[in-house]
Amino acid sequence: MVRGRLLPAAGLGVLLVGLIFFPLVVTLPYPQHVMILIFLYAMMGLAWNIIGGYAGQVSLGDATYFGIGAYTTVILLRDLGLSPWVGMLVGAVNAVVVSVILGYPCFRVRGHYFAIATIALNEIVATIFTNWEYVGGAVGIYVPILPESFINLQFHRSKAPYYYIALGMLIGVILLNVWVGRSRLGYYFRAIRADQDAARSLGIDITRYKMIAYAMTAALTSLGGSFYSMYVLYIDPTSVFAFSISLLVVLVAVLGGVGTVAGPIIGSVILISLSEGTRVLLGGTGRALDVAIYGLLVMAISVLQPYGIVAWVRSLRRPRKPREVKVAGPAA
Amino acid sequence: MVRRVSRREFNLGLAGLVGGLAVGCAQTGTPAPAVGQQPAQPTFPKEVKIGAIYPLTGPAASSGLDGRYGIELAVEIVNGKYDLNLPLAREEGLPNLGGAKITVVWADSQGSPEKGQAEAERLITQEKVVALTGAYHSSVTATASQVAERLGVPYVNFESSSPSLTERGFKWFFRTGPHDATFGKNLFDMLRDLERVKGIKVRTIGIVNENTLYGTDASKITKQYAQEYGYQVVVDIAYPANTSDVTSEVQRIKAANPDVLFQVSYTSDLILFIRTYKQLDYTPQMILGYGAGFVDPQYTKTLGKDADYAITRAAWSADITQKRPAAKVIADMFQQRFGQPMTENSARSFTGMLVLADAINRAKSLEAEAIRQALLATNIPGDQTVMPWQGVKFDEKTHQNIYAQGVNLQIIGGQYYTVWPFDLATREIVWPMPRWSQRQ
Amino acid sequence: MTAELLVQVVVSGLLIGFVFALISVGLTLIFGVMDIVNFAHGEFLMLAMFAAFWLYALFGVDPVFSVLVCGPLLFTVGVLTHKILIRHILNAPMLAQIFCTFGLSVFLKSLAQFLWGPNFRSITEPLLGGRVEIFGVFFGLPQVAAALGAVLATGAVYLLIYRTELGRALQATSEDKETAALMGIDTEKMFTLAWGIGAACVGVAGALLSMFYYIYPEVGAVFALTSYVVVALGGFGSVTGALIGGLIIGLVQVVAGFITPAFKMVVVYLVYMGVILWRPQGLFGRW
Repeated sequence: MVRGRLLPAAGLGVLLVGLIFFPLVVTLPYPQHVMILIFLYAMMGLAWNIIGGYAGQVSLGDATYFGIGAYTTVILLRDLGLSPWVGMLVGAVNAVVVSVILGYPCFRVRGHYFAIATIALNEIVATIFTNWEYVGGAVGIYVPILPESFINLQFHRSKAPYYYIALGMLIGVILLNVWVGRSRLGYYFRAIRADQDAARSLGIDITRYKMIAYAMTAALTSLGGSFYSMYVLYIDPTSVFAFSISLLVVLVAVLGGVGTVAGPIIGSVILISLSEGTRVLLGGTGRALDVAIYGLLVMAISVLQPYGIVAWVRSLRRPRKPREVKVAGPAA
Repeated sequence: MVRRVSRREFNLGLAGLVGGLAVGCAQTGTPAPAVGQQPAQPTFPKEVKIGAIYPLTGPAASSGLDGRYGIELAVEIVNGKYDLNLPLAREEGLPNLGGAKITVVWADSQGSPEKGQAEAERLITQEKVVALTGAYHSSVTATASQVAERLGVPYVNFESSSPSLTERGFKWFFRTGPHDATFGKNLFDMLRDLERVKGIKVRTIGIVNENTLYGTDASKITKQYAQEYGYQVVVDIAYPANTSDVTSEVQRIKAANPDVLFQVSYTSDLILFIRTYKQLDYTPQMILGYGAGFVDPQYTKTLGKDADYAITRAAWSADITQKRPAAKVIADMFQQRFGQPMTENSARSFTGMLVLADAINRAKSLEAEAIRQALLATNIPGDQTVMPWQGVKFDEKTHQNIYAQGVNLQIIGGQYYTVWPFDLATREIVWPMPRWSQRQ
Repeated sequence: MTAELLVQVVVSGLLIGFVFALISVGLTLIFGVMDIVNFAHGEFLMLAMFAAFWLYALFGVDPVFSVLVCGPLLFTVGVLTHKILIRHILNAPMLAQIFCTFGLSVFLKSLAQFLWGPNFRSITEPLLGGRVEIFGVFFGLPQVAAALGAVLATGAVYLLIYRTELGRALQATSEDKETAALMGIDTEKMFTLAWGIGAACVGVAGALLSMFYYIYPEVGAVFALTSYVVVALGGFGSVTGALIGGLIIGLVQVVAGFITPAFKMVVVYLVYMGVILWRPQGLFGRW
């Protein structure tokens, strides 16, 4: 009779075990790479979820924080020899500071203005880094290659450690999301998302809570950037501040289902597999067929199921409930 | 209250796990031979797989395709039988490997260093290519070759021009084409020669470059050489690539009035700039280009007469056919096969592929270390190439082709003529550029 | 900075500003009436530019005349986009709407590359090539012509919105959909019209731009972001705002480009930030 709660739990357990065993079983680096990308974007999609899903403010420029995380980590490593883990922390702090500087003026205006402001900020920061000698300008920075170790966050013989670190980070962000969702903070966020004016009239300081949400998103996204820098070992403004990163993060969350925890994860699995799959299978023709299919699918999904895959799955489950009770009876 | 996991669910989960493990084991069943330690083959391979990573979609797709065509033509030459004085032309396939044919496995970098890196890994570990090449963009070449270095696979780059690529102390990375420092020097040497031989005095220079890796590198090199050779930089503009309007930039250049202007732009920006120069009636003594937009056939096709008189560095020129007989045949084949003229891009990738195939042939094996040794021993004389080079020979330490050099071309009547070095020139240089009002 | 230089810079800024204005008018119309930001707006522009190119390359039609074809052509594209796609997401959350037009943008871009290749095209000998000289200052004739065209088109849209019955209906719909429907206005027709006219604006702008700008699948992005800034600056939904905003941004871009070319877009974006700080609804926005 409590089958409804145990089936997902058992399923999750199996999934977790599967994920843990995956790199031991599939040792080819390319599939591992795809999984790492999935974890990374799922993590950043969940990060976006806080400002976009819970608090309901659309940010289209999260690559700003991705890049800040990446650059902070690399520069601290290059100039002070600090471990990338320290860099990650400092990067997150930088990201929060920038998000506050942007957030404070922009949260006084609504919806689309904020969205465009985030895009503008993305471009501004990218331009600054492109013209800044100290961080390598347009040339970017080759990350100093260190002996392989956990402290150095660099591994050369196998991708498996990167895989586990990414998975660990993802799990951490999942837990954080769940916590936020259930906490008072999450309650305030959702109130703001539902009706800003009503929330204000209830005495909620909406600017303050929007900024908290945005700061959290910024910090978590920057962690992704820091990880990326140690994974690819080369960064430049074009690759870490790319608008395509900002958009992919949003798409992952929206496709999967905003405001849910499973949403960004599902979204990431689908979009990353799609993007990598179409490129590998079709990309060699040079006629952009793979990107066209990607665009078509994105449109189709938005039209057919705007609330995301999670909503679609939920809509399938509900009508079955009456039948479920009958089947559950004679279960062992 | 808590119900035990139903037997059905438990079985399902276990089956899934076991299934997953089984599939995984099947994948790793036949251990891939650790690269570099393949046992000696008693029989010859039927094909030799080479991986190529190029931007086949995205903004640089036209250059990516151009490079691809050069490689495809080279593979045709190697695999077929042609009476040309080029490596491996006269036999079918690689003779030392029983006539094995070359197959290229293509991957799209989409201009992204991270994707290029992933593709490099996939090509090596899953497609089992014996060597890699690519990737046009210096930033993508940087990451892709890092993978090759880590996995011990030869990587031969044909056209990325950032000097830093051969300054990393890599064991497995080789570059056949010239880099930007060489190109920059070519332009300044030409200025110096002009003064010496023709009494043309240039004192001030201006630099206008687009703001990505390519433009910034070229700008740095220009400023370096300007100092070395004693020219004064009076205006130095870095502009954002793909901008919608350049009137203000041109105004500044006009106001500073340098004798000579160095222009570093890709095709789209270049067209915009030249058009704006014409509209605002701006003509320096000469515009010197760093390739890219200047050597793109789109440039002359789009601007017609307005494209004339600029001088650009280039790794290759169509009129090399006068000095290298095989070049004419190849250029014609290229035009016929692909419907567009050969450029310095496709010429470099064509030549580089021949060099790589030649090395694999001399290695007499597909083993990575053997190929690497063969590459180090490369010594192809210039007249066995279609390039204006003395030959192909890699520096022991940096693995840069020491004979790679550029030529300077001037565009006249929509055609490219070699005007420097003077001994390779096919035409007298026109200096200064005629003013817009003086051109018909 | 001499007087001549100043005149040159200011007028160049205004010239490109008019084109920005026209592009933005289309965008602001769509947003004003339907509350949807068209992320594929740049790609509509690109389609118009390609249309103008092919008319020239295949039939020798000069862009000046292509304007008459591109406008209606893009009008149709806009109408089709609404009927086939947008109609279904009218009540979806904002995110899904963004998602939808973004997918459209990606699809159109890659479709263009698939059909016509990634190379740059250009109209090599436009009828209105060359330049004009006014008091010793030079201006490109195509740019002047484009600015004139943009002024005419914007003026036409302005008259349509503020001086006709139809325009009033559009205004009513944008102000309050439900009430407008209760008043007997066919809101579905209004939406379709908004998309049609919005796309037509961009159609005209594209034909005008093709006189001097190069054409390739990714060209949309170059103008799109600027037009979003213009629309936000002018106020979402305000045609007057788009016009004034376009001119301001054109000026800012050119002047900034003169002083600090590498950062000229940064200045543009900072202006935007400044305006929304000082006047959040934009210069002429409704709320």
